[in-house]
Amino acid sequence: MKKVRLLMVVLLLIFGLLLVACGGGDEPAAEEPAAEEAEAPAEEAEAPAEEAEAPAEEMEEMEDVTLRVLTWQNPPMVEFMEGFIEQFESNHPNITVDYSVVNANDLATIQQTRLTANDVDVIAGFGFANGAQPYMSEVEPPNWQQFIQAGLLMDLTGQPFVDNYDEATIQDAGTFDGKVYQINLGRVTYSGMFYNKDLFAEYGVEVPTTWDELVAACETFSENNVSCMTAGGADGWPIFVGAYGLLGSLYPDQAALVEGLWTGEIKWDDPETVELWEKYQIYAQELLEPGTSGISGDAAPGRFSAGDVAMYPIGNWSAEAIESAEPDFEWGYAPFPGSDNADDNQYLFGKYDMGWMVNANTPNEDAALLFLEEFSDPANYQDFVNAVGFIPTQPGATLETQIGQEVAPYLENFRVGFEQYWVAPKGAGQWANGSQGASWFQPFNEWDDAAALAAQAQADLQAGLDTLE
Amino acid sequence: MSNYLFGKGWKRWLPFLLLLPGLLAYFVIALGPSLATSVFSLTDASGIPGIPVNWIGFENYEEFLLRGMASRDNLSAIWRTFVFMFFVATLQFTLGLIVALLLNQGLKGTPIFRTLFFMPVILGVVIQGLIWSLFLYPLGGPVATVFDFLGIQSEFLGGKPPEAFAWVIVVQIWANMGITMVIFLAGLQTVPEELYEVAEIDGANRWQRFRNVTWPLLTPVVNTNILLNVIGALQAWQLFLVLLGYKAGTQVLGYVIFAEGFAQGSGGTAASFRQGYAAAASMVLFVIVLILGLTTQTFLNRREEGLFG
Repeated sequence: MKKVRLLMVVLLLIFGLLLVACGGGDEPAAEEPAAEEAEAPAEEAEAPAEEAEAPAEEMEEMEDVTLRVLTWQNPPMVEFMEGFIEQFESNHPNITVDYSVVNANDLATIQQTRLTANDVDVIAGFGFANGAQPYMSEVEPPNWQQFIQAGLLMDLTGQPFVDNYDEATIQDAGTFDGKVYQINLGRVTYSGMFYNKDLFAEYGVEVPTTWDELVAACETFSENNVSCMTAGGADGWPIFVGAYGLLGSLYPDQAALVEGLWTGEIKWDDPETVELWEKYQIYAQELLEPGTSGISGDAAPGRFSAGDVAMYPIGNWSAEAIESAEPDFEWGYAPFPGSDNADDNQYLFGKYDMGWMVNANTPNEDAALLFLEEFSDPANYQDFVNAVGFIPTQPGATLETQIGQEVAPYLENFRVGFEQYWVAPKGAGQWANGSQGASWFQPFNEWDDAAALAAQAQADLQAGLDTLE
Repeated sequence: MSNYLFGKGWKRWLPFLLLLPGLLAYFVIALGPSLATSVFSLTDASGIPGIPVNWIGFENYEEFLLRGMASRDNLSAIWRTFVFMFFVATLQFTLGLIVALLLNQGLKGTPIFRTLFFMPVILGVVIQGLIWSLFLYPLGGPVATVFDFLGIQSEFLGGKPPEAFAWVIVVQIWANMGITMVIFLAGLQTVPEELYEVAEIDGANRWQRFRNVTWPLLTPVVNTNILLNVIGALQAWQLFLVLLGYKAGTQVLGYVIFAEGFAQGSGGTAASFRQGYAAAASMVLFVIVLILGLTTQTFLNRREEGLFG
């Protein structure tokens, strides 16, 4: 009898332990009512603005803090971050930074899981984009908006360091519903191409300013057994991002392009747009070197700087990686010439790249704000810009590096690119986002007929538009 | 006389109390989330705590299976899942059996080969993906070098969808064949040696011994392996993520679920999380697995009954 009772007690203990293990502890339970909570964080988040004056003093007396910081993989940025974190930790001995780096493709997933698990304090994200526009219907809010509505991002309005950034950037890339949730650290251009000055000189090729010149340049290189272009195709997106210049030269106002596609004023298979698909095909099949799809995004700058290829169409963020791989390598950067008219090729398209956000539920609020404050210090920010090659978003900073000089002539013609505006209508097929068309041609995918693919892209888009109420 | 160990009265409930922790764990870890998925599939849940969740009925199912060209892509993903399952299940089963038969001969070096064949199983999916990405590197990788020698040019994982898809089948089989092999080896070792001796005395050749002794007695492990292979292949998606990413024309249903749930499938940089929609896709996968799993099990049970009565 006693044995049975003992057994019962042991069982109850196990049962109790199991329940405790399954409980949510001190953290907010995931299933707690949504609507009420969604409003609360905004109110809670107002507090830091008032306390903002004092975080540095408070930190002196603070206990040891482990500050969890998350960014994505971008070698020069990671290298800079490691140095900055070392400096930050030595300035604040009570703070240890737990720095995580993830693949850019996994960023959205990891942001969501770590924010909801309250497992991160300072989190990097791209500038706010892909918001629902008035002409769109039945569109889901983008992930950053979902985070804000869920009360997962801290309201940074009124923090002194926000004033270090230019107002337009704060407004365009980090503000939602009148409140600041992100300080964006720089713009990037992605419709340009790096070129190898030595190879160009060796074969007497001028930097192409029109599409015809580009094709002719590639023919010259091919005749001399030099690969014309490379891309980090194993990551998928570098193939079509490299071809944004083609889309941009045809539609310089990319916001208007997205609106036109939604309203039916522009179609992917319009006669003038079919030419875009034909150029995509030439780019994929003749300009990019065979085997491009196996090169990772991290490895492509090294392949270019090793002198194996003449051109590398990609964003200006790769400049630092190219220089690090081969400091004496002579390179230049120019807009990808998508049009036969040189005047149409004077634009550089891009986006707001990395920005800092803070977890609204962080237990290390003071340390997180201190991190942003120190990062935003003009001297530190200038070092950051120099390291990563972003076009600065602090008015006093300048892009002093070579890439800064290369893009400077085109900055007046900087335009925000298609991917920042594009939202697919529900029901649209997988070929509806025509900006990715370059990666759908053989050898990277199944298509080999530009006109047929243009028609399919429009059909896939139209199918979604037709189902809208 | 009763064999009941726990006496009478309230003590009769003791076995149920003993079962309770296990049942609770099963409910919390397996059954509960499954039921929650079916409920979530009828909502517009994003998966982010704090976002209002609305009841939308069967809209997610309608969108997934019927709406515009997206439904074409989803139905293609379902078809691709079947194709993947067919090739993986049959090839993995066949190779696992052949390797197990070879390793069961008691030849010299057997433990080393057994370890080598099983080793991929213990590697994580990311490591498996990395190994094969290097192996299939198109610019001078080992396979590309062989292909070059044969005059074949290929982009491998980054190439045309059927080719990339076929490579994922190869990697999936390489990664999991060890489990199939080990289960077969366990089954082979239960076959009494005397039966082979008797068959040999009766003049049975190698094939006849396999056909009439080994194969029937392997029935329980054959059933286990077929079921594991079928269900495992239907649910596979991680290797697609690691090896191909969200590449048009290659997605299987499991990957579509992940991509929709975690904002991986859109062309924008800030896609939305649609876990209600992903839950609906999960339910479609669940129904497929259930139907195929039950059909396979019924067929295998009948076969077993036919053999052993």
